[in-house]
Amino acid sequence: MATPPPSVQAALSSLQERLGGAAPRWGATLPSGRVEVVGALAVSPQPGLPADLPTDLPTSSDRAISSGFLALDAILGLGGLPRSATTSLHGGGTSGKTTLALQAVAQVQAAGGIVAYLDMTRSLDPVEAVARGVELDWLVVLTPDTLEQALAMAAMLLQDRTVDMLILDMPYRPLEGASISAANLAERLGRLAALARRAGVQMIVLEPPSLPAALAGALSQVAALRLELSRQAWIRLGRDVVGQRTEVRVTRDRFAPPGRAAELRILYADGGLRDACLTRDELLRDGSAGPGLVSIAWRLGANLSASGAGRTGMRDGAAPPGGLPPSPLRHAARPTPPLHSTAKSVFDDETPPSLLAPPSPSNGSQQVLRAIRGGASYPGRPALDGRAGAGREPVGIGAGSPARDAARGGP
Amino acid sequence: MPLGAAHRLAPEALFLDPDPAADAAALKAALDRLDGFSPGVAAEIDPALPGFGQVEVQLDGLARLWGPEPAMVRRIDEALASILPGPPLAGIAGTRFAAAVAAALAGKTRSGGTVGSNRGPSSEPAALDIVSPGTDAAFLAPLPAAMLSRDPEERARLARFGLRVIGQVAELPRSALVARFGPGGEWLAARARGEETDPFRPRRAPERMAMALPIDPPVSDVEGLRFVLHRLTSAFGDQLVARGSAAARARLAMELDLSFSVGGIPPLMEIDQLLPEPTSEGLAIERLLIARLEMAPPQAPVSRVELELGDVAPAAGTQLSLFTPQTGRTGRLGWQLVRLGLRFGEDRVGWMEIEDSEAVLAEARWKWRRVAGSRSAEDWAPTGRSAP
Amino acid sequence: MTRLLREHPLIDVELDHGGELVAFRWNGRRERVEVCNRWRIDESWWSRPIARDYFKVVGGDWLALLYLDRVDGSWHLERLYD
Repeated sequence: MATPPPSVQAALSSLQERLGGAAPRWGATLPSGRVEVVGALAVSPQPGLPADLPTDLPTSSDRAISSGFLALDAILGLGGLPRSATTSLHGGGTSGKTTLALQAVAQVQAAGGIVAYLDMTRSLDPVEAVARGVELDWLVVLTPDTLEQALAMAAMLLQDRTVDMLILDMPYRPLEGASISAANLAERLGRLAALARRAGVQMIVLEPPSLPAALAGALSQVAALRLELSRQAWIRLGRDVVGQRTEVRVTRDRFAPPGRAAELRILYADGGLRDACLTRDELLRDGSAGPGLVSIAWRLGANLSASGAGRTGMRDGAAPPGGLPPSPLRHAARPTPPLHSTAKSVFDDETPPSLLAPPSPSNGSQQVLRAIRGGASYPGRPALDGRAGAGREPVGIGAGSPARDAARGGP
Repeated sequence: MPLGAAHRLAPEALFLDPDPAADAAALKAALDRLDGFSPGVAAEIDPALPGFGQVEVQLDGLARLWGPEPAMVRRIDEALASILPGPPLAGIAGTRFAAAVAAALAGKTRSGGTVGSNRGPSSEPAALDIVSPGTDAAFLAPLPAAMLSRDPEERARLARFGLRVIGQVAELPRSALVARFGPGGEWLAARARGEETDPFRPRRAPERMAMALPIDPPVSDVEGLRFVLHRLTSAFGDQLVARGSAAARARLAMELDLSFSVGGIPPLMEIDQLLPEPTSEGLAIERLLIARLEMAPPQAPVSRVELELGDVAPAAGTQLSLFTPQTGRTGRLGWQLVRLGLRFGEDRVGWMEIEDSEAVLAEARWKWRRVAGSRSAEDWAPTGRSAP
Repeated sequence: MTRLLREHPLIDVELDHGGELVAFRWNGRRERVEVCNRWRIDESWWSRPIARDYFKVVGGDWLALLYLDRVDGSWHLERLYD
């Protein structure tokens, strides 16, 4: 009998725990070589509050989820970010904390988890989150006013174990608006972390660049894992900065000796045709080649300059016919969908586009960048890892989301 | 039997002319009164039909409100004393058939634990026979098999097959009974084994269930109300589960004791709460209502609480998507988020939704989907159930 | 990832003599920056015009996206790369 892929295994075992014998099973391999799933649908007997839901997710590892960065997983004691524990991410501005956190969200969701994001900085960008593999349907976003309120909300969520992961994005000034002292807040933070551990909920705390000493001390006490991110160098494309190399240092790890470090390479995609260049290492000016692709974030539209004046002219350049040359990041079997655009290509241009000559409108890619309402991914989005960012295929969770695929295995 | 023959058989008997209309009216009055005890009351109201005179009262969960079963029967007996001509016979069992048999036996023996009554010394209290939970089949086993059916043809056939007691019928394979009795065999088998044969249909269509409890002395703190509310919601929860129904909205009405209050406070405080999804979970309803009470506690002591569940309908199964393990848990999450919204503000909790990922302005590419009490379950569960 | 600051906070900027952006001030900090990319958008000019000049700036701390609202001349912080 063939073994089902991990995504199907996860789905099946969560159904099995919930429905017992009534759950669908993985069936025998048919003579044709295809595998039959017995029972395609399941009917839950009662709506309401099932008391005994599985709290641990039966994927990759029971104790950790991949950070989405192979180099980072390799230096962590558990081979990933610990489940049922608190991880705190520390770093200055533009150090890659948010990227790392959302990468982890996508991983947990792929394994069937529900995530709550406490967005105290009011800065979560859903469009980018989706591009990174996050499913908005399973991402509850809470916008507390103060850290104090956030801690109260988080405690409520933890008590009921309705989520599997909690992201605490601390405000830039954590003590602002608090009616209690820093020491008191620190104590509450500690209690929350203890609650998360007991409830088996993974918590990731995004520390602001300047964290008051009391809170920093509390966090380093309660976090099972504390990562310090520091930017080493920018990665440039022409004059533009399109990414960075970040060193992650483990300053505390309950499961392994601290002090190890890994280097991550993070690329930011601003959307638009030019992002295709990000897949071509030879075009990027980067201190070192690094360990290959680790992450690319997409942002849509900003460079599309879609309307008005921007649409006229500017059709002089040409994209390479038949799509882009093969990229080292691409799965050989999956050709990049051709970008049917005749927009000006800028990767050989050292000077930034001037204000009076807006960057190239790319009508072709605008056509394919249509969001599915409430959906989890964007069909046809030209994905950097070379896969057609196909929509959620009917079989298999998490099929075809570019960021997630990049996160899973890397090239 | 002609009246003359009857007179000869029982010369001391007092013979009444049949008055079906009066009987029906008395039963109607009794049922109305019973509605105050249980949201599940059923009876045959046509005096011409054989089932007339038998009233079924669903007691699941009501012990929390009215005390243990004998006490409950005593209360019912007291309530009906002025309406019905004689003391009622009562039987309590896991199935309706076993309860009816138990009531009949209670009348025959008058020994099965009679309960006290404050009726006059001349009248007898209600006779009660209680079949302990799970022992329906054992209780029925030694009784004559003829009790299983009203149909003389079926009774005769049972006798012909040498089935004298119910236990013998219960031991036969179901298929054997079906082979000999046709579709009725299935039914005989179920009855004999102490299984419910058909669903309970309360006389009042259960789109609405209401119960009230007085609070003496009145309480004003939420903790005290939680205690009362817990009794009501758990009683309702058991009732809903027993019926396989789910409620979609809850209304809590509280009568306030204004004797020590300054003016301007309305005497009745009402909370109308749409549930995130139809539920039979008493605890979920309780927690949501408590969250509402914590948001806005009553301004004066509460002397009476009435809880009404609305839009009660058969609980439909939720279709789970095999490949989205999260869907199995949206119900619980929905309740949690509604409570978070009640406590911290509805604009603090929600989902983000991509609206137009191509919009030139980043702020126009997505929008909020907020948690609100008025949302139906379908609004947010992506593979949710259909709206009620 | 970038952080999209949903309220687009107002910032102070410093320009050099040539009108180039050299620094901005946000959250109590002054950040010396170099502009590394820029573009312009003009939207719904027929009704409520939106005209912004975007500047992607790289500083010692942040890689950020600022814009000049050409309708009222105010400067805003829209994104922080992180």
